[in-house]
Amino acid sequence: MLMTGEQYIESLRQLKTRVYMFGKKIENWVDDPIIRPSINCVKVTYDLAQDPEYKDLMTVKSSLTGETINRFAHLHQSTEDLRNKVKMQRLCGQKTAGCFQRCVGMDAFNATFSTTFEIDKAYGTKYHENFVNFLKMVQEKDLVVDGAMTDPKGNRGKRPSQQVDPDLFVRIKERREDGIVVRGAKVHQTGSINSHWHIVMPTQAMTEEDKDYAVAFACPSDTEGMFMVYGRQSCDTRKLEPGADIDLGNAQFGGQEALVVFDDVFIPNEYIFMAGEYDFAGMLVERFAGYHRQSYGGCKVGVGDVLIGAAALAAEYNGAQRASHIKDKLIEMTHLNETLYCCGIACSAEGYPTEAGNYQIDLLLANVCKQNVTRFPYEIVRLAEDIAGGLMVTMPSETDFKSDLAVGKNGETIGDFCQKFFVGNEAACNTEARQRIMRLVENLCLGSAAVGYRTESMHGAGSPQAQRIMIQRQGNIEGKKELAKAIAGIK
Amino acid sequence: MKCGVKFCGGCNPRYDRGAAYREIKEELKDIDFVHAEEDVPVDNLLVIGGCTACCASYEQYDVKDQVFKMWDKDHIENIKTKLKAITED
Repeated sequence: MLMTGEQYIESLRQLKTRVYMFGKKIENWVDDPIIRPSINCVKVTYDLAQDPEYKDLMTVKSSLTGETINRFAHLHQSTEDLRNKVKMQRLCGQKTAGCFQRCVGMDAFNATFSTTFEIDKAYGTKYHENFVNFLKMVQEKDLVVDGAMTDPKGNRGKRPSQQVDPDLFVRIKERREDGIVVRGAKVHQTGSINSHWHIVMPTQAMTEEDKDYAVAFACPSDTEGMFMVYGRQSCDTRKLEPGADIDLGNAQFGGQEALVVFDDVFIPNEYIFMAGEYDFAGMLVERFAGYHRQSYGGCKVGVGDVLIGAAALAAEYNGAQRASHIKDKLIEMTHLNETLYCCGIACSAEGYPTEAGNYQIDLLLANVCKQNVTRFPYEIVRLAEDIAGGLMVTMPSETDFKSDLAVGKNGETIGDFCQKFFVGNEAACNTEARQRIMRLVENLCLGSAAVGYRTESMHGAGSPQAQRIMIQRQGNIEGKKELAKAIAGIK
Repeated sequence: MKCGVKFCGGCNPRYDRGAAYREIKEELKDIDFVHAEEDVPVDNLLVIGGCTACCASYEQYDVKDQVFKMWDKDHIENIKTKLKAITED
């Protein structure tokens, strides 16, 4: 049963998720001014699914139940499904200009579905059945699930079992007849507070010594022993300013990351998807990362669409829209953005069925996609800043624009002076429109949305070097040498 | 005449699909436009795509007569003409 956006918000109120921020427990986190924009962002994934103009992408028939579900809870059944996933993500990026957070769960579903199938085949376990039952529940209730992978990792030169503190990777602390007790934490968790459930996965390939760290499971976000510490973002406390609106750049939407702590959390057997099968940890990580690297060829492109639009408006409001170099920069931004999209679509089009039946992306092309994402948004941002001009970071606050404090010799207020001196192309906009578009550019390039558009583009779904390792593995240099030998006539 | 309407998902539309639909609907007041639903038969179906891929799925609908597809704002007049011709037949 599809939830509406409003029902999603109400469903969060029923949770008892423990959230801490600025050293305090946040009792009503749903309405907290810093957190709420990120909840609004997830809400869009529900709202669009109800809209006839968008539901062809946002909804799909479940392969498990035959019911209509939100695509964010879907197991991809074809390369068309993989392409539609990327298209849906671009759409959601366009509508929010931020991270809508629901992709990590979708990517975890697909990776866990196929990996548990293969673990069961090798070990005779029943993880796949556990997972299918869990996913049916998620689809039926239309839930948001955080796919939690990244551990704190401590000393990067040491394996999980070699760390001074054994809790720096999530681990099985105790095995019981009816389940396991886990301890540790996940960092950078996108949308974890806004999620009804979490799927926890290992962060890297494991060895036999790290057996207790090869663990995957699902748990409700408000389960006993679990809590989140909110990650702060650039300019976040602007949201606490009275009447904050224009200065936020994007008052409605935002992303969210948090530290998620598992302080001895009990996981019943039916929610366990891996518990010691260390030889499959790498497979789960690689599949999840592959899907997530594909995801960025959609979501970041959608946000890029908004930034390109904002840059074009900034040029128009500055009266510079006819300058040839401005037109050329907008072309370059579009070229870069669509190149990212090409990669997202390409790795989807070249997808293939797994043993479990769902579809996996082409790993080489997905890694190329994400490698480009670590670069192109930075260039798009540079060009946006170039076009917008310095005003995006030097303009007085909206309070100054509204100030009635008389400071001029003829009684003019601070607001009067701001209005007078920040006028732009009066034929195209009023001063407030100019303020708004400059703040949106600021928000995306170096404000709170830059967390998602810039640094997440760099490190989310794995840092650049992780993709380069995969590109090296998949690139078939030996095969290319043979091609060269054949052409050159080398026997 | 009952005409079902199906939009593509709108990932990167090259024109305003909603505005195009409203324009068509506004001019063809004799046609009963409804959002297409499975198990609800329609006489004809209008598929509104946002780009040349026009990737909206529509095979699942029960369409008695014809399926009309558009993916460009330049198609609006042509669609109006075709739908008008059906109502006049």
